[in-house]
Amino acid sequence: MRMKKMRADVQALMFLLPFLVVYVLFTIWPMIKGVEMTFYKWTLIKKMDFIGLDNYRQVLQDREVWEALWHSAIFVVLTTPTMIVLSISLALIANRQSVLQKFYRSIFFIPSVLSVAVASYLGLFVFQPYTGLVNSILHLIQMLPGDKEIFWLTERSLAWIVITLITLWWTVGFNFILHLSAIQEIPDEIYEAAKLDGANDNQIFWRITLPYLTPITKTIMMLQIIASFKVFMQIYIITGGGPLDQTRPIIQLIYQTGFRKNNLGYAATMSYLLFVILLVLSALQYWVNNRKGAEDR
Amino acid sequence: MKWLYRLISACMAFLFAAPLVWMLVVSIKEEGMKIITVLDWFKPPYSLDVYKEILTGTKLTAWIGNSLLVAVLVMVLTVSVAALAGFALSKIPFRYRTFMFFVVLAGLLIPGEATIIPLYQVAKDMDLLNSYQGLIIPALASPVAVIVLKSFFDGIPNDLLESVQIDGGGTWRIFFRIVLPLTRPALASMAILTFIGSWNNFLWPFLSITDDNLFTLPMGIPTLMSQYSEDYVKPMVINAIASIPIIILFVTFERQIVKGISMSGIKG
Repeated sequence: MRMKKMRADVQALMFLLPFLVVYVLFTIWPMIKGVEMTFYKWTLIKKMDFIGLDNYRQVLQDREVWEALWHSAIFVVLTTPTMIVLSISLALIANRQSVLQKFYRSIFFIPSVLSVAVASYLGLFVFQPYTGLVNSILHLIQMLPGDKEIFWLTERSLAWIVITLITLWWTVGFNFILHLSAIQEIPDEIYEAAKLDGANDNQIFWRITLPYLTPITKTIMMLQIIASFKVFMQIYIITGGGPLDQTRPIIQLIYQTGFRKNNLGYAATMSYLLFVILLVLSALQYWVNNRKGAEDR
Repeated sequence: MKWLYRLISACMAFLFAAPLVWMLVVSIKEEGMKIITVLDWFKPPYSLDVYKEILTGTKLTAWIGNSLLVAVLVMVLTVSVAALAGFALSKIPFRYRTFMFFVVLAGLLIPGEATIIPLYQVAKDMDLLNSYQGLIIPALASPVAVIVLKSFFDGIPNDLLESVQIDGGGTWRIFFRIVLPLTRPALASMAILTFIGSWNNFLWPFLSITDDNLFTLPMGIPTLMSQYSEDYVKPMVINAIASIPIIILFVTFERQIVKGISMSGIKG
């Protein structure tokens, strides 16, 4: 019996080993290493001075850090509700019986497979003044006088709108598929019964479809909040964090501090602040999902 | 009401398709065209010369090659590593199994973005910066893939495995002959999601690669774009060349991709 147990242990280790090696080397070890780095003035060429808790003291008082965190939070607030509304709307569109069903499904999803660089540059050109597609169309339909231009990226609020629109266009596909498959899982009998009872389309949506989508919507919401908080690349390409760093998210600040200002130790300290925030959000997600499980039972 | 619904649907489809159509149309125009109204974008003359120029005169094709190579290797290796680990957690009754499961589960809470700075230092110490290995190996530990595959393996009845064991089949045999074939759809979906994830990965290549021969597409594009800011044709050709392969891939594997997303309920 003991031999058999031993054999199981050895076998399990063999199966787990490849994963564990990579996991320890590139996830666990960096986490530990990072703690060490926060106690040093640590530069790219690794000239280090031990400075104790200075990095921590500094990070808590650094206005740039809190502003960047705030920008990431703004991005979360802008993208999460709009993403959910858009995702459900697109799922409803693609769920309608029509010859175009497959076309809708593809066209809503295709932007998600584009590289972030392509999506961002495409968006950038679409919103360009003088020659961009949006301004040109506004000129064409005379919403915008011919001699006027909208400079989308030079004003903070417009820049946020552009970033949000491009992000929605680029990433809604995944959530749309999740919502669509949840809609398709709602049993037909329920709709039929509702129709027999004389419910109209509106009532069916609010009383049946939407409640049925609640669990997946909650999951999408939490994933979206966490993913949005980690935003970097599209903002980096679209506005570069501008105008005047007013759209710079925390990851961009971490990058600039570490690699442009050559202070990896301080950048690592910032990323632990980010880590704590994301950990709280993940715990929240776990809690939301568990409560959902409890309701199901 | 029906027509309103159709109108809204058509408008949405237009909004989603418009940037892509515009990209393709502008990409086949001749350079230096005059645009006064939006209609000018869609007027001939058309030409494919810029495609030729970009394909031969830049490193774009090499970068697409790098992206493909990295994404394919990350896909194959991640799924293999995760399938092995998921199998152990699901089907081998070893001591500390619950503990190991929680170790993997904890990995879900660790966001890669928050450990990217120390990861850079670790990769530097291991001499992995500016190398294919450095692009590929750190991406292989995917707790999500392990957990998802484990839950699929859990669905395979143990009786089935025991019957093979009685016939004299070992653990490896069970793994290769029964577990993997039975969960092929899950493996395929996981593979595709991993591929898309790697294809779109930006932050790590951006930090770890400085040699432009090793650039992946998301890094190469900004480098090229910064050279052409005046005219639209070259940027659009670059965008088009970068998107066409992945769109073709999507159209080919649409069913698996859609199934994969809805099955796992996770974001790629």
